[in-house]
Amino acid sequence: MSRPASLRPPAPWLLIVPSLILALFIISYPIFNIVYQSLHEVSRFGAIRDFTGLKNFFTIFDDPAFLDAMRRTVVWTLFVVGGTVLISVPVALVLNQDFHGRGVARTIIMLPWSVSLTMTAVVWRWAFNDDYGMVNVTLHRLGLIAGPIHWLATPELAFPVEIAVGILVSIPFTVTILLGGLSSVPGDIYEAARIDGASAWQQFRKLTLPLMRPFINMAILLNVIYVFNSFPIIWVMTQGGPDNGTHILVTYLYELGFRLGRPGEAAAVSLIMLIMLFVFSMVYLRIQPKSSGEAA
Amino acid sequence: MSLKMKRSLWCWLALSPLVVVILFPFAVMFFTALKPAEEIFVYPARWLPVQWRWENFVDMWTAANFGVALRNSTVISLLSTALALSVSLPAAYALARFPFRGRGVYRQFLLVTQMLSPILLVVGLFRLAAMIPYGDGNLVDSKIGVIVSYAAFNIAFAVWMLSSYFQTVPRDLEESAWLEGCSRTKAVFKVFLPLAVPAIVVTAIFTFINAWNEFAVVYTLIRSPENKTLTVQVTDMVAGKYVVQWHLVMAATLCATLPVSVVFAWLQRYLVKGLALGAVK
Repeated sequence: MSRPASLRPPAPWLLIVPSLILALFIISYPIFNIVYQSLHEVSRFGAIRDFTGLKNFFTIFDDPAFLDAMRRTVVWTLFVVGGTVLISVPVALVLNQDFHGRGVARTIIMLPWSVSLTMTAVVWRWAFNDDYGMVNVTLHRLGLIAGPIHWLATPELAFPVEIAVGILVSIPFTVTILLGGLSSVPGDIYEAARIDGASAWQQFRKLTLPLMRPFINMAILLNVIYVFNSFPIIWVMTQGGPDNGTHILVTYLYELGFRLGRPGEAAAVSLIMLIMLFVFSMVYLRIQPKSSGEAA
Repeated sequence: MSLKMKRSLWCWLALSPLVVVILFPFAVMFFTALKPAEEIFVYPARWLPVQWRWENFVDMWTAANFGVALRNSTVISLLSTALALSVSLPAAYALARFPFRGRGVYRQFLLVTQMLSPILLVVGLFRLAAMIPYGDGNLVDSKIGVIVSYAAFNIAFAVWMLSSYFQTVPRDLEESAWLEGCSRTKAVFKVFLPLAVPAIVVTAIFTFINAWNEFAVVYTLIRSPENKTLTVQVTDMVAGKYVVQWHLVMAATLCATLPVSVVFAWLQRYLVKGLALGAVK
């Protein structure tokens, strides 16, 4: 306070600059490089050849595997994020109640977050093993299935299984955000609502949901970003197979760049994904203040 | 009291399906890790081992090259956490204490860095590492490249967590230190930082866990076995193998996971406050 005001303006920037430099260093060159590679013919060993304009993009869009992966990415993101939010809202509401063993319950719900996605995927891959995996064993013991189901060998089953795993690992983060939101909801407004004769459902619809709106919105936005970019689950469980049946854009991008030796096209896919995410975030943030304004 | 009992029952009942699904993989890991090799591929398979074989952990240690991978994971996670915190601390302090212009822009920038996950940039990241000379080669297959990129990609998380906690440290204490003739910088070190230690420790631990669990960047940048981390090492035991030694793989995942899970379980309540406030404000 007693410091001269002229000293103050640069201070915050000086404090921020190191983090800016580090982040920009790691982000800017790769972005530039991706744009550059996507516009050139690149050999499988990474040698940059001629400028080819948008040829990589045309090749990509002629590739049925890419179009399938794109469609599947939308399904993947929609179902994982949708399922996560649908499960997390009631779970957060329950965890916000005062009950015996709440601490234990919270800890258990948070556990998947502590495990590397890679490890989770490895364990589930084993659990879904056809003949020896514990999923089939358990279902068989319970009398729910007659013989082993070939979960990961059939694309129609493998992809939903991966979506379910995706939901499971996204719940802890989402519940965390929502619990933070619930803790900021004052308790006395519910008392007032009860005195006014509002039912539990009405309290939820008219009080809880609107107050939680900014937190739900944030959870959706961050989850869309994370899930859209989620690589290990699918890569470890099925590597995009069987028969390219479970590729999403990130796994396809990785396969193009580091397995099939088509880095130029991989760069083009990266760029397309960046644009998709960017457009989504802009549109989403554009709508957001309006809806939270209504809620307030 | 009986009302609370009844409510507890309902709450646990509602959560039970999810709890079962969450604990399921842990049970799979645990029981498979303790089966002898002959009991893995028997049909019909059973949950519990007939013979509990604790020596699996010893076998796994050599089969998975666990010691080396453990050391690599530790070194990479520790150093990247240190680097991430050393740039995030001042930034978080600035966000929490100064109402400066460009604050909103900086927050947006952090959100964008969250959007650019390493996997999207991996093609370019690889090129960046290949371009920077180091030793008699370049940063491909060196821990330094991984450490720096982990640190960079964790800045957003660290700044969010730290700044939302820093806001809860009362400003008056610092201000009264100024009145007593303490310089601004000195007040930060003498008054503010000691109070912020818990927040810093919590953030450091979560940054550490993020680095510990990361996959795509190490998987791409690290080639030689002596530099591989736990996540890559375990994946290598599974991917592309005709016969997978699942009992050893599960022993390895268990050993790689359990310590982190315990620390996480102990600290998870701090996340609720830090993340939620940081994300929305």
